[in-house]
Amino acid sequence: MPTTSADAPFLTVEGVRKAYGGVEALRGVSFTLPRGEFLCLFGPNGAGKSTLLKILSTLLPQSAGRVRVAGFDLEENSAAFRARLGVVSHQSYLYHDLTALENLEFYAGLYAVADPRGTALALLEQAGLYERRHSPAAEFSRGMLQRLSIARALVNDPSLLLLDEPYTGLDEHAANRLRKQLELLRDQERTIVMVTHNLRRGLESATRLGILSRGRLCCMERRGSMTPEAFEALYFDHLERM
Amino acid sequence: MTTLNQIGFLVRKDLRIELRKRESLISMAFFGVLVLVTLSIAVGGGRRVPPETGAGILWVAALFSGVLGLGRVFARERENGCVAALLVSPMNPGSLYAAKALVNLTLMVASQIVLVPVFFALFGQGLAGGLAAVVLPLLLLDVAFSSAGTLLSAVAAGTRRNEVLLPILLFPLLLPVVVLGVKASGAALQGKAGGGLGAVEPLAAFCVIYSVAGYFLFPFAAREV
Repeated sequence: MPTTSADAPFLTVEGVRKAYGGVEALRGVSFTLPRGEFLCLFGPNGAGKSTLLKILSTLLPQSAGRVRVAGFDLEENSAAFRARLGVVSHQSYLYHDLTALENLEFYAGLYAVADPRGTALALLEQAGLYERRHSPAAEFSRGMLQRLSIARALVNDPSLLLLDEPYTGLDEHAANRLRKQLELLRDQERTIVMVTHNLRRGLESATRLGILSRGRLCCMERRGSMTPEAFEALYFDHLERM
Repeated sequence: MTTLNQIGFLVRKDLRIELRKRESLISMAFFGVLVLVTLSIAVGGGRRVPPETGAGILWVAALFSGVLGLGRVFARERENGCVAALLVSPMNPGSLYAAKALVNLTLMVASQIVLVPVFFALFGQGLAGGLAAVVLPLLLLDVAFSSAGTLLSAVAAGTRRNEVLLPILLFPLLLPVVVLGVKASGAALQGKAGGGLGAVEPLAAFCVIYSVAGYFLFPFAAREV
């Protein structure tokens, strides 16, 4: 994927619409995101958060609008884009009958990583799962699975990371560990888009905050431009107007 | 990365899981043997059967056991959303199709290594052709079945009643292959020199048509898996 200057938007979403039959899930979402930013999109169930993420991950074609990454149209360069994309969902995307190492090695192989085993072992070390590398994923707790899932999403050293409700089902300890992991990724200058309805967790790590409601992006703010309390009040104000 | 490498990674992953769990292979072989034993009892246990009937019995067992394995082709990918991870990777969706078809072909051949000897043990007395007579038509059935079945399995996987929908879609599509295959196997089991070879060309043509169509249509079906 070609690189762009630091000021140029890395991710550009222009008037993206998505309709399922007669129901519009996204009604013209537009925003830009510079490289290295961590955008957290909040919204209630049915706001269109997961639909937007599926479009950004090329799993779903948009009905209208354009998505550009590093200046290139997503639809025209989807294979090259996917090679530098990482996706984490509330589903683990892991094979429970394979061990942690086998899972990561398999995905590293699919992405044509030069040293699949070495990459897999390094990622397991980072995720604190090295000692459990030969255990089947089926034996992992929800928190361990989520750490392994993030390690899986990093096998190709992605420049854009998409996270769909990554805190779902995690206890407080596992959620704290995930937050630290996400902050580390943010500090590595990766561009991150996370969608969640968990306000507290999203406000902790993001550098930009957005509210998606009824398929529209209602606001997009820098994290420092308002206090968490003010953003929380704004969020609930949007929810009540629904 | 070449398409062949991608296919290799996917096939190795699926076979590794299958060797570990042996879910599909054991159920396919067991069900096929069960069909043969049931039909053997139905025709009078140990009585001679005409070659055409024998061929029909063998193909019924092979088809029914094959459907059992086919239903599991995408089940593992749907668990934990793995299919989404494959589709967001740079892999060509056609590679996923080819890998799944190859895995299914391997499982069918492996289950028939059990089925065919059991068939000859139960029905072989009146049949002039030996084991080798049915190998080629059966192999071609396996290729046609795997290539058409993998595509339809992806279509059916996106529905709630995929195990019901799959045979309803698959068997009519395979009808020409089944008719040609039963005739070819029947002729071969009569022990005629070159018996059944006339059906090999059209059977091979169906294999090519199903494989090419499956490869190119699979990306549309994969979105529904």
